Amino acid sequence: MKRSFTILLALVLALSLMLAACQPQAPAATETSGGESGGETAAKTQTLVIGFTASQTGKYNVSSGRQVNGLNLWMKQINDAGGIKLSDGTVVTFKAVSYDDESNKDRVQELYTRLATEDNADMLISPYSSGLTAAAAVIAEQYGKVMLTTGAASDATYKQGYTKVFQMYTPASRYLTGAVDLLAKTDPSVKKVAFVYENSKFSTAVVEAAKDYAADKGYDVVLYEGYDPETTDFGPFINKIQDAGAEAILGGGHFQDGSAFARQLFEKNVPVKFVTLLVAPPEPDFADLGDAAVGIIGPSQWEPLAAFKPDFGPTGKEFEAAYMAAYNEEPSYHSAGGYAAGLVLEKAIRDADSTDPDAIKAALDNMDLTLFFGKIKFDTSPEAHGLQIGHSMIYIQWQKDGDTLGKQVVWPEDGATAKVLYPLH
Amino acid sequence: MNTLKNYAGLLTSLVVVVLIALAPIFSGNAASREVVFTILRAIVLASSLNILLGYTGYVSFGHIVFFGFGGYVGFYLITAQGQSLWVAMLAGGLVSGLLAYLLGKAILRLRGAYFALATIGVNEAVRAFINNFEPFGGPTGMTMNFSVYQQYGGAMQALEMTFYIMLVLTILVVILSYVVRTSKFGLGLLAIREDEDAAEVMGVVAPDAKTWAFVLSAIFPGMVGALFFFKNGSVEPLDAFPLHTSIEMIVMVMLGGQGTVLGPILGAAGYQRMRGLLVTSTIFKNIQLAVSGGLLLLIVLFVPAGIIGWARQRWPKWRGVLQ
Repeated sequence: MKRSFTILLALVLALSLMLAACQPQAPAATETSGGESGGETAAKTQTLVIGFTASQTGKYNVSSGRQVNGLNLWMKQINDAGGIKLSDGTVVTFKAVSYDDESNKDRVQELYTRLATEDNADMLISPYSSGLTAAAAVIAEQYGKVMLTTGAASDATYKQGYTKVFQMYTPASRYLTGAVDLLAKTDPSVKKVAFVYENSKFSTAVVEAAKDYAADKGYDVVLYEGYDPETTDFGPFINKIQDAGAEAILGGGHFQDGSAFARQLFEKNVPVKFVTLLVAPPEPDFADLGDAAVGIIGPSQWEPLAAFKPDFGPTGKEFEAAYMAAYNEEPSYHSAGGYAAGLVLEKAIRDADSTDPDAIKAALDNMDLTLFFGKIKFDTSPEAHGLQIGHSMIYIQWQKDGDTLGKQVVWPEDGATAKVLYPLH
Repeated sequence: MNTLKNYAGLLTSLVVVVLIALAPIFSGNAASREVVFTILRAIVLASSLNILLGYTGYVSFGHIVFFGFGGYVGFYLITAQGQSLWVAMLAGGLVSGLLAYLLGKAILRLRGAYFALATIGVNEAVRAFINNFEPFGGPTGMTMNFSVYQQYGGAMQALEMTFYIMLVLTILVVILSYVVRTSKFGLGLLAIREDEDAAEVMGVVAPDAKTWAFVLSAIFPGMVGALFFFKNGSVEPLDAFPLHTSIEMIVMVMLGGQGTVLGPILGAAGYQRMRGLLVTSTIFKNIQLAVSGGLLLLIVLFVPAGIIGWARQRWPKWRGVLQ
């Protein structure tokens, strides 16, 4: 009896591990050096190794996969174009080495140490998510490797005294502040704001900063409440929002909860004028909500609609077309972040006219440019070295044009493609 | 000579641990050191769990709670109170032991599947508590300034130091595991595992023995938690209480042979090495979890007693060494 129980237990455990393995796999980003770099036999060719971990399995699988796709596309293009030619005649090409971090921290430091020492990575790209990046940053700094972080918005990582870590994304503290500005500009009479957000690292960091910003602007924060990431019934929160008499709602968390929240706000016909939610609205699948999506605003790191005039690299349209051709899907802001990280490395090498890590770091410190992804400039103060201070969020809103539901950029004003739909009710 | 024979089981286990740690010590290779650090961490967690699972027969699906809780307390002491790593590790181990004592009093009255379910509940409850506990950073967790490593001679030295501390912890946990197994207290635990009611009739005070087994199995995971998050430079609820790691710990114990000293060491080392090789293998890296699952399925089907359990049955003469 006891033996059968042991065998049964063992079988259940083994099966649970196998089930964990049965998650969708991101396109393999193993060891790539897209394109041909031959033909320059006379010139000295130097191949730089870019190391990173990707979440090929686990909860970050989709976002991380798109980030890697973006980086690989840049690498293929630059290698196909013959690499970067330095003034001393050296031709620099690129090769990527990556491993699966399984979306958890257990092995991140082990793998980044391997990338830095065994694989001799010349530069590093961060894993996806702030948590994994915080662990990788320790290794990058320890081995003196420049690391560009994409998909890691938390401010805290860049305030720990690192000197080699550079952030591509707008930090979490500025994720929703633009929405407060948009509300103030659109309707100065609104005063009562509710923050209802997912109780997770990212969402809490974003909302804490936005709440302080709103309070400084004179808003009355009538509700400030977190919900569990597994929440599917927002009824109790909606009742509180109505009881508090909120005129605007800011918050949300990730796709599933954000979509459910938006749908239930619509179904209960909650009389608020303005709703901005994190992460979910910019996703193309948000359109599945139909009329419930109309009027919902969401911050995005990048949108194909954004019409920045780049002073380096392709335009948004060119990037979108190349990405569609390579992967047969629309690029998300994760894809754009990965591609833009490659562009920033390329620009730093060109500016430094060298592959020396210190020269590249100095070029990054001095960088102030606009890409299709937006403006890029890094904080160089000792307190927050590497924090992104140039890039700003774009705010999209789902609007109807006849029967067609589509996204429009409504903030910042200089990049807007439509007037904000206001009020919701 | 007789003394050597008496301690053959302990010596074998210690020799295995030292052999595992030798490669990075002599080569000075940082990548290899990191791999071995992960293996040693797994050995400490698996050997600790073995005190409860292997000796006492209680399956804990939420044992990682002690790693996370000890890690959080240790990290808080380092970052918010400016304490040293040593104090943090000691405090991490003590609070985990205390938590186990209090929990043990409450849930060790449950048996079998009910106890297993309760341990999952405890893990989730502690995670939810930490998620809402502002001094520990709530959902955003805590981050450590890079300059803290300067107190230990810089990041390079600090990270190397964590490896040696982990090695010492591994040796201590192996000694503890051996002492428990060969002591009168350990015999009581083994009796509880075989038949708790009969053990009580024979004079074993089961509630106390189980609680102390639970406490002993929690102290080292708490210390390792403090060390691990110090090395990582940050801690947050999702990383500190991963339920899947609890399941992996059970797999490692069963793979090596539950109820033995050497079993969890071999189980943890074998499992982690296999995962480490697969994740970096050109051929298997994209299907590494499926391959791990398949291999484990084969092992538990054909060697259900674990590596050491099988070896002890196969070579009875060597039982003194294979403990």
